[in-house]
Amino acid sequence: MADIQETINGLIQELRRGTIIISVLSQLSEPQYGYSLVTILQEKGVSIDPGTLYPLLRRLEKQELLESTWDTNETRPRKYYSLSPAGKEVYLQLCKEWKSLSDSLESLIKGDDGNGVG
Amino acid sequence: MELVNRYIHAVTHQLTGRQREDIKRELQGLIEDMLEERTGGRSASAAEVEEVLLELGNPRKLADQYRGYGRYLISPEMFASYLAVLKIVLLSIGIASTIASAVQMISEPVDALGHFLDYLASLFIGGVQGFTWVTLAFGLIEYFGVKRIRTGMEARNAWRPSDLPPLPDHRLRIRRSDPAFSLVFTILLGLLFTSSLNLFGVWHFPESGSMQIVPFFNETVFRGFLPLIWAVFALGIIKDILKIAVGKWTPALIGFEILVSLLHFVLALFLFNDTAIWNTDFMRQMAESGITPAGSEAFYKVGSNWSRATGGLIYLIGIATFIEIITAAAKAYRLRAIYRR
Repeated sequence: MADIQETINGLIQELRRGTIIISVLSQLSEPQYGYSLVTILQEKGVSIDPGTLYPLLRRLEKQELLESTWDTNETRPRKYYSLSPAGKEVYLQLCKEWKSLSDSLESLIKGDDGNGVG
Repeated sequence: MELVNRYIHAVTHQLTGRQREDIKRELQGLIEDMLEERTGGRSASAAEVEEVLLELGNPRKLADQYRGYGRYLISPEMFASYLAVLKIVLLSIGIASTIASAVQMISEPVDALGHFLDYLASLFIGGVQGFTWVTLAFGLIEYFGVKRIRTGMEARNAWRPSDLPPLPDHRLRIRRSDPAFSLVFTILLGLLFTSSLNLFGVWHFPESGSMQIVPFFNETVFRGFLPLIWAVFALGIIKDILKIAVGKWTPALIGFEILVSLLHFVLALFLFNDTAIWNTDFMRQMAESGITPAGSEAFYKVGSNWSRATGGLIYLIGIATFIEIITAAAKAYRLRAIYRR
């Protein structure tokens, strides 16, 4: 039984991995720094490791989907990320993809021929 | 806070360029934020610091994620062929130095212990050398391979079905024994040329007294050619290692094989172009050693053979090279026929 649970956990992790980028982009129409993003996502039920998020933010910045500025006015300097114009476009496109993907999956799970379990 | 600084250093010292300082600052802020969330403002205990660092995970992994790829001297995909090549090379060095030492022991049986110690030393040094060169070669392949993938060269050359290699053809397979044998032979010859040139000669065991060797070569002249010999032999060794690693004939390998054959011939041309490399005193020493007493029939026979052999050797080598190149060309022709199918 433990083995099955392990397999399930692995598969769930894989499923989540594909959705991380869209989750992150969705919260960056307003500038956020890394740890505030972790907290916001956590509150909305999406948990992500800082150790995964921070490198990801840099990668998205390198791909020019995000813009960043250092804010040195607060108690400690923080790097704020927000969507670039290209990032906005990519995000909208990803949203569209996600909806169609989710619709297709929905119909697969519901199973018009009665094979599904949903 | 010392632990935090150590953690940040552990992540960033593996990174390069401008991003390093930036990541340092960002990580600093992140860890402080995470600590503050746990402590609510008071100073953090050692246990809390440890907890936060554990949550961030192994610094090496984090650095890999920042870099976007793992770093290997030899990646897991390459490791199997690395081991195979390493085994064969080390074995070849072992066999070659064993034979070289055995020959030396037979020629000068007096100092057996000294020879044995020399043998152990040459085994060790040879082993270290072999290990170093094989690892270096694979490390370079790894380094440039990774660079190529990262700079997107792989992606730019879109794959086409016609790029598929032909099914393995038994006629194009390289049996490991062939390059392995050549490896042993090259290393052995290199060892003997370098440290025991005097063994190349006519061996004479007089009924009384110790054994004598009348050398073929003029040692001083020969030594001058050693760097050239090493260079050509090293290329031959690389060729044999590639043959073992690849395991089948490819156009590039055939080209390399032909190149090495030609270089062997050029080397021979350099060596035997004039007669300076030969022992000019050969006939006199033959007579003095009593192998062929001066004026005897054997003396004249050996004398005429000696001049014929020293003059004609280059033609023999030329013929051998020619045969090698024809064989390689035949393989190329076969390969082309298979690719065209």
